[in-house]
Amino acid sequence: MKLAAIVGTNASHSYNRQLLQYMQRHFADLAQIEVLEINQLPLFQKSLPRDQQSAVWSFKQAIKTADGVIFSSPEYDHSIPAALKSAIEWLSYHCELLDNKPTMIVGASYGPQGSARAQEHLRQILASPDLNAAVLSGNEFLLGNVATVFNEQGELTDKAAVAELEKYFTNFVSFTKLLNQRSPQAALMAIKQPLISEAFVQFPTGKLSLQQIQQIFSTMPFEVDFIDATDHFSWFSDKAERVHVRSVNSLGETVQECHPPLAVPAVEKIISSFKSGEKNLVERCLTLQGHKILIRYYAIRDVNGHYLGTMEFTGNVDHLYELFKNGSFAADVTTGASKKAADSTDSTDAATGASQLDTAASAQPTTSTAPAAPDTTTGASQHQE
Amino acid sequence: MKLVAIVGSNNQVSYNRLLIEFIAKHYPKFHLEKLEVRELPLFNEDIAGVTPAVVEKWTKKINKSDGIIIACPEYNHSVTAALKNAIEWMSYQVHPLKQKPIMILGASTYPQGSSRAQLHLRQILNSPGVDANVFQGQEFLLGQAKTAFDQSNEISDPKTVSFLDDCLQAFAVFVKKVKRGNKGGK
Repeated sequence: MKLAAIVGTNASHSYNRQLLQYMQRHFADLAQIEVLEINQLPLFQKSLPRDQQSAVWSFKQAIKTADGVIFSSPEYDHSIPAALKSAIEWLSYHCELLDNKPTMIVGASYGPQGSARAQEHLRQILASPDLNAAVLSGNEFLLGNVATVFNEQGELTDKAAVAELEKYFTNFVSFTKLLNQRSPQAALMAIKQPLISEAFVQFPTGKLSLQQIQQIFSTMPFEVDFIDATDHFSWFSDKAERVHVRSVNSLGETVQECHPPLAVPAVEKIISSFKSGEKNLVERCLTLQGHKILIRYYAIRDVNGHYLGTMEFTGNVDHLYELFKNGSFAADVTTGASKKAADSTDSTDAATGASQLDTAASAQPTTSTAPAAPDTTTGASQHQE
Repeated sequence: MKLVAIVGSNNQVSYNRLLIEFIAKHYPKFHLEKLEVRELPLFNEDIAGVTPAVVEKWTKKINKSDGIIIACPEYNHSVTAALKNAIEWMSYQVHPLKQKPIMILGASTYPQGSSRAQLHLRQILNSPGVDANVFQGQEFLLGQAKTAFDQSNEISDPKTVSFLDDCLQAFAVFVKKVKRGNKGGK
């Protein structure tokens, strides 16, 4: 189970951060807790330009892919800090990232109340319709007099508080498991075993069952993503060990939502060149964590040339590169018909002229110890984390 | 009488700003000066000793005023982060809101007129670090704000205008009373 734990303050010293870090260690066997900071987020503003929202995008991705969320909030003026309220506003504006997300509230304060009033406000805020988080009720963890309860190693020394936290966190783990039974994972299971597996599609060139189609996409050595004609991310093939790890939570998002803000202009440019008919293919070569990655974007069109969407076709071509280097294509031992193909293996697609070598990435050394080149074009890449 | 008005939204279009501008226009006796929360940087307690110039400016203006009107939008059933941010600045190294007469009002595009945010704001302003003297007994909640203003940004319903007038007159009495009390105490 993967949980995102939000430090409810932007202060550099925070007992709430210390509490979450303690929980991260103490509950390592029960859940993988990622401690998220809000100190990089800009103050919420509806009209903030997209290119200033990189930190917001990363924060939202972390929440989106978590099975549950933990808030640890201090109390400022009997409520939550503006910085935390701002982070929450980002999570509810034009998105539903906390909708039905299992959520736990904890908090620490210098005084004996343990941020009780801030937690109460936070509960009310999270219950508002635009957030609609599934907040675990009861189980209030209020850590008061916080300057005296951690030792130098950051361990919580108050045994009664530890026992209480263990009880509440165990409840939260059960709660999260229960709520996630019917969510994205379940949807993915439904994809793996199509309900109408006996149904088939009749192509002009033969027929395939839905199950066969599904398994072909899972097996082929390239991964495929599809953005539909209205610019929504609508499908991805569930190949194992993807270069770009996608989440079903991202399905239905616009290209602007599912890509990092700084990559959006490049993506929009590709798609608009497809829509206008100017291009049919854009190619990129990257080195990611020492692997040679080929990405090809294709315009998908109907027989009349009308734009249906964009296909992103991505694969690790280390093996092809090795084959070529070892001369596997050199000798034409049979028909002679493959000579031509071998000649053109190492050339870029001169026919389209659309090849766009990523200069930053291609400048990377290609040994396995090379640092990962950032993939600035594609959205949901997990390699950036 | 000199009043300061705080617009609780950092959005470019805000019905709460329209409401403040309506009051400023029709109540010249308040000498209403508008402060925009979007002027303030995001509060961070790390600043240690350095109070930003804009916070100093707010402090001076609030200190010189007899009272404050806060126009409070509602985001997620509470005050906006941008307004909470302003209050955090006004309750950390400087405390200009201490015992200052404050009237809360607000507009929203739904019928509730920011009622829940106003309740949170009341609690926040009553906290010891802020310690404001919040005017109570009259609540001005402007719902359906999209249709409440006409094309020249006037509130079109005469009953609403009349009720706003009741609230503002009562607040003016409250402000005078507090001022007299302060003078009497000295």
